[in-house]
Amino acid sequence: MITVNGKQIEWEEDFTVERVLKAMNYTFPKIVVRVNGEVVQQSKWSEFKVPDGAEVHAHHLIAGG
Amino acid sequence: MSGPIEKMRSSRKVLAEYHYEPAQIERGYAGKTLYVNLSNHKIEAKDVTQQMKDIFIGGKGFGLWYLWNAIKPETKWNDPENEIVISPGPIAGITQYPGSGKSLVVTLSPLTNSIMDSNVGGFFGPYFKFSGWDALEIQGKADKDVVVFIDGDQGKVTIEEVDLDPSASHLLSEQLTELMADSEQDKKNVSVVSSGSGAEHTRVGILNFSFYDLRRKTARLKQAGRGGIGTVFRDKKLAALVVKFSSLSGKSNNPADPALIAKTGVKITREINKFDDTQFRMRQIGTANLMTPMNDYDLLPVHNFKYGSHKDAVGISSEVLRSRFTQKMPDGCWVGCALSCCKAVDDYVPKTGPFKGEKVLVDGPEYENAAGLGANCGIFDADYVIEANFYCDTYGIDTISTGTIIAFIMECYEKGIINKEITGGLELNFGNAEAAMELIHQMGQGRGFGKIAGQGVRRLKKIFAEEYGGDPAFMQDIGMENKGLEYSQYQAKESLAQQGGYALTNKGPQHDEAWLIFMDMVNNQLPTFEKKAEALHYFPMFRTWFGLMGLCKLPWNDIIPESNATSDSPEKIPEHVQNYVDLFNAVTGKSIDKDEMIRQSERVYNFQRVFNLRMGFGTREHDAAPYRALGPVTEEEYESRQERYDKQLKEDVGINPEGMSTADKVAAMRKYRQERYETLIDVVYKRRGWTENGVPKLEHLKDLGIDFPEVVEVVKNNL
Repeated sequence: MITVNGKQIEWEEDFTVERVLKAMNYTFPKIVVRVNGEVVQQSKWSEFKVPDGAEVHAHHLIAGG
Repeated sequence: MSGPIEKMRSSRKVLAEYHYEPAQIERGYAGKTLYVNLSNHKIEAKDVTQQMKDIFIGGKGFGLWYLWNAIKPETKWNDPENEIVISPGPIAGITQYPGSGKSLVVTLSPLTNSIMDSNVGGFFGPYFKFSGWDALEIQGKADKDVVVFIDGDQGKVTIEEVDLDPSASHLLSEQLTELMADSEQDKKNVSVVSSGSGAEHTRVGILNFSFYDLRRKTARLKQAGRGGIGTVFRDKKLAALVVKFSSLSGKSNNPADPALIAKTGVKITREINKFDDTQFRMRQIGTANLMTPMNDYDLLPVHNFKYGSHKDAVGISSEVLRSRFTQKMPDGCWVGCALSCCKAVDDYVPKTGPFKGEKVLVDGPEYENAAGLGANCGIFDADYVIEANFYCDTYGIDTISTGTIIAFIMECYEKGIINKEITGGLELNFGNAEAAMELIHQMGQGRGFGKIAGQGVRRLKKIFAEEYGGDPAFMQDIGMENKGLEYSQYQAKESLAQQGGYALTNKGPQHDEAWLIFMDMVNNQLPTFEKKAEALHYFPMFRTWFGLMGLCKLPWNDIIPESNATSDSPEKIPEHVQNYVDLFNAVTGKSIDKDEMIRQSERVYNFQRVFNLRMGFGTREHDAAPYRALGPVTEEEYESRQERYDKQLKEDVGINPEGMSTADKVAAMRKYRQERYETLIDVVYKRRGWTENGVPKLEHLKDLGIDFPEVVEVVKNNL
């Protein structure tokens, strides 16, 4: 299991940041991702492996209209 | 155009004339305000006191203070003593930082019967200030349509009767610009405030503030849209306000530290140039960039806020709307705005109405137009959205309220509360674009069922109950208004914090106080009541500040600096908060910090709450929300998201939904959500320094320095 924004989801072996966001249907263009407290730059999302048990924060930087 | 202009020119009849020496702007303030009475034609200057600057700052603060002094607790929106106050604020008019051309308009609302404020762009506010005035008070009522001209070049104010047609705002703005300008080039120095025929026939009238577009050679429009301010404007027989000021420069505000303003402006302009194309694309799409993500995250209001997404929403997606915008260059509503969110559809040819077959310019559509007029009414047709947007603007009616009104009517129609006989033949099912467009024309022209629709959701609920036997309780649940103002266009069901962000507001459910949906629902940054309450303290105060200064909110969080990724509080955009502190200090020469910034807002915000109390509102009962804003009202809503709601019942409420009927599940969910909303109110009031009934505590007002005797008296009467 991993935790994404406080919600638990089943961990999958090939989970990258990109795949986690896709699993959550997080399509917003400006998200700051932290995995276990470490910021992962957007350019690394497709390769950064998310380990089992990780705590992922995907902060959508949007404060509305 | 020359025909109507010559007619206007030859018909001008001056009713009152006032000459003045334009004040030198000193550190963002003119030090004078202008009072115009349309009943007795009195025109006079008032001094801006130090107390006004210290406590009320400017913009909305000045508007509230003048309105407080102008009216009595028993004053109604259409009494002559009601005022429309327009004030730009001390930072308004700088040209080095994006979004700095705003004005705040304050009046007693025909929708809420209480205090309304609306933030609007265009050139009027800055030009008016540089003409020597920090605020404009319009009081009284004229006998016939009049225009107030403010000539900042000549130092002259006149009230005039002019032979004109005030029914179509886009034409009137164009004509008065031409009348006032000496040449084509001079038109950029003129700004017009006007409304339209819809403002005469509905309670949802708007004000259009113009800005002249030299490239298109036409007057464009920005709206003070919420709460029926245009209805008050036309009730006063005011056809237009016109200002002319020809000496704009980068130092017109005479700021204390121009170098700091320039440095701060260069910094954010570089950010915009570097990141906008990969962030929110404000320069390409404007606020319509929200259409696709709102649908993706189940937040786009569909069918009167029943749902948050729709399979056909692709018809009005961000990319579809982008493809309809005709300009391919940055386009802002004030000089120097690098964020340039204005968008337009040139040469659109309406298929209906008085401009059918003619080429018109449509400003927008923006997110709220497409979401409200389109998705919320089940209409996913870009042409419809563009045309409805155009007619709402030129008739002078609020796109947001109009969208929510039509959506409510459509649900009542589908539920059989009203029928074709009542609507005059309009088949107002969700998705019927033709009927919806006809209803907009009827609202704009004061015809048929449109005259009823234009009364707004709160009054429609009463009419439908009393005259057509509609169930008041059901309509209370689905009628998306609070305090009498229609909800703006976000689905808040899954964000408790945003439910408060909408209903625990001073003027009603407009998202300019707080927009916490992503922080709460998606980011899960507000897991406790206390954290939600802190957000419902901080963000309304922070956002209020824009309205004190003459600023636009968009450059705060619609462009994100690099530093934000490693910030401890990215949702606040700390680097941009510091920019605003720097701007205020650089313009005024003061030395505030980010905490004093919030205190500045807190004074005005609490004063507005007390003002609501004074007018008979402002207590807990007025912060109640329709249940549609909190959760699923009907079984079809519940079943459309059954997996989500069943999971919530099991995990959050502690009820096993297996074997329960949908009706029972709806009832259990309702009990849970309403209790949570009441708890939220308790915690928010406590954080804001208010009693359990929502009344600001006397010690809190004293701490803020707004314990004036007349304020204390109002509060004591409500304790």
